[in-house]
Amino acid sequence: MNRVAQLWRTTTVRLTAIFIALFVVFSILLLTFIAYQSSIQIQQQQTAAIDREVEMLKRIDQRQGVRGTVFAVARLSGQPGPGIYYLGDSSGLQIAGNVTSFPANVLQDSGVFSFNYDRDSAYAGDNTRGYAVVRSLVLDSGLRLVVGRDVLERRGFTAIVFQGFLLAVAGILAFALLAGVVTARRVLKRIDTINATSAKIMSGNLSERIPVTKRNDEFDILATSLNAMLDRIEGLMQGLKEVTDNVAHDLKTPLTRLRTKAEAALRETDTALQREALETTLTESDRLIRTFNALLMIARAEAGAPSGAFADVDVSAVAADVAELYEPVAEEAGMALESRITPGVHLRANRELIGQALVNLIENALKYYEPAEDNTGLITVAVREDGGRVLIEVGDNGPGIPLEDRARVVERFVRLEKSRTEPGSGLGLSLVAAVARLHKGEFRIADNAPGVLAVIDLPSA
Amino acid sequence: MKILLIEDDREAASYMIQALDEAGHVTHHASDGETGYAMASSMDYDVLVVDRMLPRRDGLSIVESLRAEGNKTPVLILSALGEVDDRVTGLRAGGDDYLAKPYAFTELLARVEVLARRSSPSEAATSYEVGELSLDRLSRKVEREGEAILLQPREFRLLEYLMKNAGKVVTRTMLLENVWDYHFDPQTNVIDVHMSRLRGKIDKGHANPLLHTIRGAGYMIRE
Repeated sequence: MNRVAQLWRTTTVRLTAIFIALFVVFSILLLTFIAYQSSIQIQQQQTAAIDREVEMLKRIDQRQGVRGTVFAVARLSGQPGPGIYYLGDSSGLQIAGNVTSFPANVLQDSGVFSFNYDRDSAYAGDNTRGYAVVRSLVLDSGLRLVVGRDVLERRGFTAIVFQGFLLAVAGILAFALLAGVVTARRVLKRIDTINATSAKIMSGNLSERIPVTKRNDEFDILATSLNAMLDRIEGLMQGLKEVTDNVAHDLKTPLTRLRTKAEAALRETDTALQREALETTLTESDRLIRTFNALLMIARAEAGAPSGAFADVDVSAVAADVAELYEPVAEEAGMALESRITPGVHLRANRELIGQALVNLIENALKYYEPAEDNTGLITVAVREDGGRVLIEVGDNGPGIPLEDRARVVERFVRLEKSRTEPGSGLGLSLVAAVARLHKGEFRIADNAPGVLAVIDLPSA
Repeated sequence: MKILLIEDDREAASYMIQALDEAGHVTHHASDGETGYAMASSMDYDVLVVDRMLPRRDGLSIVESLRAEGNKTPVLILSALGEVDDRVTGLRAGGDDYLAKPYAFTELLARVEVLARRSSPSEAATSYEVGELSLDRLSRKVEREGEAILLQPREFRLLEYLMKNAGKVVTRTMLLENVWDYHFDPQTNVIDVHMSRLRGKIDKGHANPLLHTIRGAGYMIRE
C-alpha cells in the first residue's frame, strides 16, 4: 500500500494520469462529433431514399394505376432490409406492405412521422420493437402510401462507434497506466539505488559510489556528477585524516618535549637553571604555536579561503617588499638576493598568503644554502608574466632537490632525510602549494642547474 | 594606566591582571559582554582589551556600540580567530589593534602601552626627538648631534615608528605589521637583521646607545 502511495506521488504517474484524462476528454469530443455527423448523414440518406421511393411509386401510380402500385409495393415489401411499406385504401384497409399496425394519425394525415412499432418481419430478429421514420401521403389514385425506414440501422451505427470508442479508451487507459507505472517504478528504482548509496555513505562508508549504467541517461549523468562530488569529499576527508594523523604526530612530539622541559624546570632547584629551563619551554611552545598556525593556514587555504580576502594585488610590489625584507638577511648569511621583478604585475589574490608563500620559499633557500669556496650563494626572486600566467619564482644555486623527491617535498611534514636535523615544521612548501591551489594555479619545483627553482604558476585572470 | 579587560577565561584574566599590575597598570575586569559594555561606557579607561567571543554579548558588537556613542577609547581585540579576514573585520568594527590567541604577554603589554599613546597629542607631531637624535617627518631628515644620517626609506619608517613610541617596547610583529604592513610569520630573525642595520647607522660611534633590545620582548628607543 505504501508502495502504491509512493508510486502515485511520483511525477511520472501523475503526469500520465493527467495525460490520460486529457486524452479521454478529447476522444469523447472527437467521437461525439463523428457520431453526430455520421448520424446526420445517414438520416439524410434515409430521407432521400424514402423520397426517391415515394416519387417512384407516385409515378407508377399515375402511369400504371392501382394494380401497378400494389404490385410494386408488394415487391418492395418482400425485400429484406430496413424498408417499411404500407398501401391501403381510404377506408383504412391494408392492400400491401410489411407493417400492419401504425399509430392512427399516420394513416389519417400526410407528412413525416417517427414512432415505435412492432416488427413482424424476419429482419428484426429477436428485437421486435422497432423505431421507424416514415412518410405518409395519399396517391392520385386515392390510395394511402406509407414509405419508411427502420432507424435501427442508424442506431446500430452509433452503437458500433460508441463501442469502438469504449474499446479504444480502455486500451489506451490500460497501456498509458502500465507505461506510467513501469516508468515510475524504474525512476523509483534508480532513485532508490541513489538513496541506498547515500544512506551507506552517511553511515560512514565514504568509498560507496552510485552505480552508473551504460545507458548514459539523465540518471547516469546525475550519478556521475554525484560520484565526482563524492570523490572530492572523500579526497578532502582523506586529506583531513592525514592532517589529523600528522598533526597528532607533529604536535605530540613537541608537546611531549614541552612537558618534559616543564617537569625538569619544576625539579630544578637552582633558580638560574630553572629560569633557563622555563625559557626553553617558552621557545618550545612558540614553535608549537607556529606549527599550529601553519597547519591552520594550509587548511584554510585548501578549504578555499573566503573570497573576501581576495583583492587586486600588485604582486610585483609584494615580491619587492619581501625581497627587500630578506635582502639583509641573505647578506648576513653570506648570500646575495637578486630581484628580477617585472613591475606592475597585478592579480586577484590574497596578499598575505602570497607574501607568506614568498617568505617560505626564500627562507627555504636560506636554510639549505651550503657555503662553498667556488660558489657564492645567490637567491633570485622573480615575478613575470608569460602568456596569461603569472609566474612567481624563487631560485637558488644550492644543493638542489633530487628529481625523485621533488613531488614529495610539497607534501605535509615531508622533510628530506638530510634536512631532518634542520629546524622547521616541514610545512613551508605545503603551504606554498596550498596557496598556489587556492589561486587556481600550481606549485612546482624545477631544476635551476644548479639549485632549486621554485615556481608558483598562477593564471592571471 | 587604567585598563578594562573584558575576557571570559577567568584563569587567563587573573594572570593578565596580575602581570599588568606588575607593569604598573590598574586593571578592571569584566567576564561577560554585557557587564563589560556597561563598565566601558560608564567609566573612563585608557585602553580596552576585549575578547572577541564573549558570553551574553559579542566583543565586536561592544566595540561597535562604543564607537557609535562617540567613545574613542583605544581598543585591542583579542581573538582565537587569527586570519587576515578576521583581523580586517575586527578593525572595521572599530578596534585599533588585533591580537590573535595564543599570544605572548609581552606582546599584549607592548601593544596596550602603544595603543594608550594614541589618544595623546604626539600622534600629530611633525618631528620626534630622542636625546640628541631628531627625525623630521616632513623634510624626512634624521640628525644626531647635528650630523645628518642617511637612511633608506624603509629604515626611515622603522625609526619613525620607534621614535613615535619612544620609551615603549615595540615587538617584532608590531614592527612587521606597522612598518612593512604584513601579518605573516617569518621564521628567521628578519626584523633583527634590519634593526642591527639601523643600529649601525644610529648608534655607531656614539657612547650612549639609543636603540635597545629588550630581551624576550622586542626593541625600544630611549635616552
